[in-house]
Amino acid sequence: MERETLILLEKFDQLSLTDEERDAFLKFYDKQLEEKKALDAVDTENVERMVHVMPIMTVVREDEAKKIYSREDLQKGAPATSEGYWQVPRLVE
Amino acid sequence: MKLYLTKSDCAMTNAVALDDMFLTKAMPTTAGSKMLDGYMSLFDAEVVTKLTEAGYEIAGKANVGEMAVDLLGETSYEGAVTDDNGTLLSASAEIAKEAKAVLCFDVNGAPRRAAAVSDLIFVKPTYGTVSRFGTVSSACSGETVGVMAKTVADAKAVLTAIAGHDDKDGTSLSDSQCEKILTTEKAVKKVAIAKSITASADDSVKADIEAAKKILSDNGVEVAEIDDEILTKAKAAWNILMSAELCNNVSRFDGVKYGYRSENYTTIEELYTNSRTEAFGELLKTMIIYGSDVLSTDNYMSFYDKAMRIRRVIAEKFAEIFAEYDAVMLPASSKKAFTKADTDANMYLAFDENLYTAPATITGLPAVVGGGVQLIGKAFSDSALMDAVKTIKEGK
Repeated sequence: MERETLILLEKFDQLSLTDEERDAFLKFYDKQLEEKKALDAVDTENVERMVHVMPIMTVVREDEAKKIYSREDLQKGAPATSEGYWQVPRLVE
Repeated sequence: MKLYLTKSDCAMTNAVALDDMFLTKAMPTTAGSKMLDGYMSLFDAEVVTKLTEAGYEIAGKANVGEMAVDLLGETSYEGAVTDDNGTLLSASAEIAKEAKAVLCFDVNGAPRRAAAVSDLIFVKPTYGTVSRFGTVSSACSGETVGVMAKTVADAKAVLTAIAGHDDKDGTSLSDSQCEKILTTEKAVKKVAIAKSITASADDSVKADIEAAKKILSDNGVEVAEIDDEILTKAKAAWNILMSAELCNNVSRFDGVKYGYRSENYTTIEELYTNSRTEAFGELLKTMIIYGSDVLSTDNYMSFYDKAMRIRRVIAEKFAEIFAEYDAVMLPASSKKAFTKADTDANMYLAFDENLYTAPATITGLPAVVGGGVQLIGKAFSDSALMDAVKTIKEGK
């Protein structure tokens, strides 16, 4: 992986690595590429992918409005609130 | 050095502690991450409710590695737990020595490694038989709630309390399927040793496998070595799937609605980026970026799609093995002790060590660790595996 690609991925992931961390990541990535060769050696062209190991169901509930938690409860863990809203920096000038 | 991130004041004999990956109303839940420092959930995880209903007290929240994906908990924002010689200790394992049991979240094999190096029992049940509702999800398709304890009897008693269908978990199996894991339908009579995986471990671990082999043989169990070349590929495949799923699961942590928020921002982009950068540890950042890379347009087919196909190849290999054998025996780790210096020198050690744990993780098969060895069986054979591990433990 090129360093520029890594920096682009950091942006997508909303992270910012130090130069030292980037060096470590690139070494890690090279190792993963090497290990992936073991997977490439297996012919999987006619193998169906396995997303889940067991059957899964979609959890549904009746389409009824329920007030389970109050606004105050939901905002207890919020880093910043104002007048009952989550507070973030101004998005629109 | 903290064993507990939060500790209750209760008698330990009937108390069960929780990895700090389970949401609790009465105690903070951090997932070992600065991102969730002080976070209070509005509800309990389903397993916490079930434990309480069964009469167990909650002993507290055990220190855990960030999002439970590391080697033995060394990436916790509260720091690694070590002894005076710098040997890494698992907080869950240390607590399991005094409590009835500890509920652990097995994402990348850490509880199985911990049980192996601490001479404890760990049961990773068949995927879908214990609710994951109210856990801090890391890698949904393989993560499993399991039980660590001193004895098989204690582990089974606690597993009995938490197993069962849960409407709130889309991967939860029916009650009749969940009940199967608690009853031995067919005893373990024929065991296959994963040859190359076992050979890659150090001599002390191989000695445990040899000792278990002798005990099982003395008890009338047939033991033979098998070619396990395909099973070794679970490691690279799970590293891809785990990172991809983790990348998505932790994208919710952005410093807005809950969790850590940086003080250093002026724009919303800076708020997101600086909050995540300051709160997450280096291993987690590595996995997030690797995960988004394997899901990228350029790499999706060659990495992520390939890993999902490999998962089926491995599942089919296990099915082939279980047509002849009742269990596969292999180590749960390459050696019997790890030091802080080991993980300082290679923070990605868990990515290597899951050579031993990824085969059961990626397939959702039950795995029971005890007596320093790991037995993997077909789905719902959990009870038979526990019986066999009990025989091994008692024979040592």
